[in-house]
Amino acid sequence: MSTTKNLSKRQNGVAFLFLSPWLVGFFLLTLGPILGSMYLSFTNYDLFNPPVWTGFDNYRKLMGGDPRYIQSLKVTFTYVLFSVPLKLGFALFIALILNRGLRGLGFYRSVFYLPSLLGGSVAVALMWRQIFSYDGIINHFLWTYLGYDAPSWITNPDYALGTLVLLAAWQFGAPMVIFLAGLKQIPQDMYDAAAIDGARPVQQFFYVTIPLLTPIIFFNFVMQTIGSFQAFTPSYIISDGTGGPADSTLFYTLYLYEQAFTDFEMGYASAIAWVLVGIIAIATSISFLSAKYWVHYGDEG
Amino acid sequence: MAATQSRRNFLKQGSAVMGGFALTVLSKGAMAQGKTRVRFSGFVESEEQLATTLKVLKAYEAKNPGVEIVPEFSTFRSFTDKLATEAAGGNAPDMFSVNVDLLAEYAARGVLAPLTEYIPDPLDVSSYQDGSVFSCTYDGQMYAMPNDAIATAIFFNPRKFEEVGVAVPDKFYTWETLQETAVALSEAHGRGFWGIEDGGGNNLPCDIFLRARGKALFTPEHTIGFDAEDGAAWFQYWEDMRQSGGCPPADVQAQAGDNSASLGIVRGRAGMLVQTTDSFIGIGALMEDPLDLMMLPNGFDGGEMKQHLYDYAGNSTGIWANAPDKALCVDIIRFMHFDPEGVELYYTGSGMIPASTEGLEKFGTSGTEEEKKLVAYLRMLREDPAPSRRPGVGGLGGMFRRGNEAVAFGDATPLEAAEALVAEINEKLAALKA
Repeated sequence: MSTTKNLSKRQNGVAFLFLSPWLVGFFLLTLGPILGSMYLSFTNYDLFNPPVWTGFDNYRKLMGGDPRYIQSLKVTFTYVLFSVPLKLGFALFIALILNRGLRGLGFYRSVFYLPSLLGGSVAVALMWRQIFSYDGIINHFLWTYLGYDAPSWITNPDYALGTLVLLAAWQFGAPMVIFLAGLKQIPQDMYDAAAIDGARPVQQFFYVTIPLLTPIIFFNFVMQTIGSFQAFTPSYIISDGTGGPADSTLFYTLYLYEQAFTDFEMGYASAIAWVLVGIIAIATSISFLSAKYWVHYGDEG
Repeated sequence: MAATQSRRNFLKQGSAVMGGFALTVLSKGAMAQGKTRVRFSGFVESEEQLATTLKVLKAYEAKNPGVEIVPEFSTFRSFTDKLATEAAGGNAPDMFSVNVDLLAEYAARGVLAPLTEYIPDPLDVSSYQDGSVFSCTYDGQMYAMPNDAIATAIFFNPRKFEEVGVAVPDKFYTWETLQETAVALSEAHGRGFWGIEDGGGNNLPCDIFLRARGKALFTPEHTIGFDAEDGAAWFQYWEDMRQSGGCPPADVQAQAGDNSASLGIVRGRAGMLVQTTDSFIGIGALMEDPLDLMMLPNGFDGGEMKQHLYDYAGNSTGIWANAPDKALCVDIIRFMHFDPEGVELYYTGSGMIPASTEGLEKFGTSGTEEEKKLVAYLRMLREDPAPSRRPGVGGLGGMFRRGNEAVAFGDATPLEAAEALVAEINEKLAALKA
């Protein structure tokens, strides 16, 4: 008995030994900073002098109507509201096309996935900037062929956020690949049965494909929503890190970054970060709570 | 013959390999430790400036084989974020660039070491122009060594004036004349061309504008030097300029961003640009047409005409308060600023004009044509210099840009934008003093 116990202990020890790089990384590089940031959110910390405990002052300041913070919230919620459905819709549309048994499917799948690989990169944001600038390709076309003197799409507050939403939608590759995998899991029998019952393709889509795809839609929706709340790079690059013009692309995370590293308000920035954690947690909880009404799992019977 | 290997042998050989590797790495580390390592971080305005800075640091290393200088140079924006993070982590570079506003921030927060004990030996600043020294001084102590003398100016493309027969303003002219000239250029050149780029989001010309109104951005006591009404007049001036077509609409101007290559003057879409002289060489190098420079307006119609411009240090080198070998950092600064070989390498072809009077005179005679233009401009300002630029607060450029954009895009009136600006500056000053 005690031999078995010792062996089991030794095996646990070996397991922990192999896990130790991850554990050390998690505790030192993830959990440590998370707790540190939680503490800093209750302090006045300018990065250079020791933090001074100020209780809920930073949170009070946030709730007290910091106008740029409110603006960053508006921008971020608008971005999430439009970019997530647009991206998912587009991803599903392309996945449906690719699922029709095209020749060279692997090639097309890679081509469509490519923007997502490059998506977060500086190069793509820079390219976007060139295409939609005042003298970019789009405006060149509009002026040459239609005689329309269009505005600079990325530096006009009326359109700047729209171009960022388009950029997000264009990076539909990751959810598309997941949709495609989901579509391939739907048994052909279902479509055959629906066809025998007289369902046309559109009806098959709404009464077979969509219901059976809801777990995948749900997964993509949650992941994309979380990612969109955390978006930073597109605005940082396209607006030169300013969130401009006129704060029209001031993403939540960009304002956080500005407070921390331009204004040296690390305590306040930490509070902003923790509120974002709360917002994402609420959004995700709502998604999960709503799931029972619209997500159908195959094993539900 | 089949080679067989027991687990014990494998472990033995593995240990030997690892041990050998560790010894190699450690011995190399020990060799590296033989040299004193100094990290030098900074911002540069152009490729040319980067090249000469690296050249002078290499020359110092060649003369001092025991010293290794690690250069970490970038654009201003990347530099400030990186420096803030490193300084916060207790890992700031041993020496780094500051401008007049960063100097105030870092000196007030105890990040910069005062240079008082090294003045005048070996850092003799007696021949340095007062404005440069003043812009490196905070609370009575000098915290950095001025690398250059810069001033705000209007860069212009003479060819764009000649092409349409619009006269370049005289040496002394008014803000109203500037607007008339800009509008005339825009109208004469037609669609897609503007007389001047929007300067409303730039705090530097605003200081000159305020001085013509008897105010300034900051007082010598490091308090705000203007009120919301003055700020509103500034934002209104540029709103009028936009409305009259003298400068680009807000969305077109916003597109230029921080990138010199995107500037309207570089792309042949603007005739004038408000800038500081340290960008003159870099921007000129990007243009096919020649580039020239002139003073900003010095008064208003019907008012007193007086020279309100001044030169100051745009880029200075300071030393981290916790740098282990401050004397070595000071010696590197000495080499760049006072050693004839170092001065030659650091400044020639860099676009920087030395802050010392001797340096200025030297580049006025031996420099390139562009450098001579810069020297002539600075000399002109020094004939009757206005009191120099005073330390402000970090992020001032962003505050002005936001205020100007708010007006330009119709989100705020000039007065509302100015009130927000004044409030933000006061808040920053209060935080700094706390």
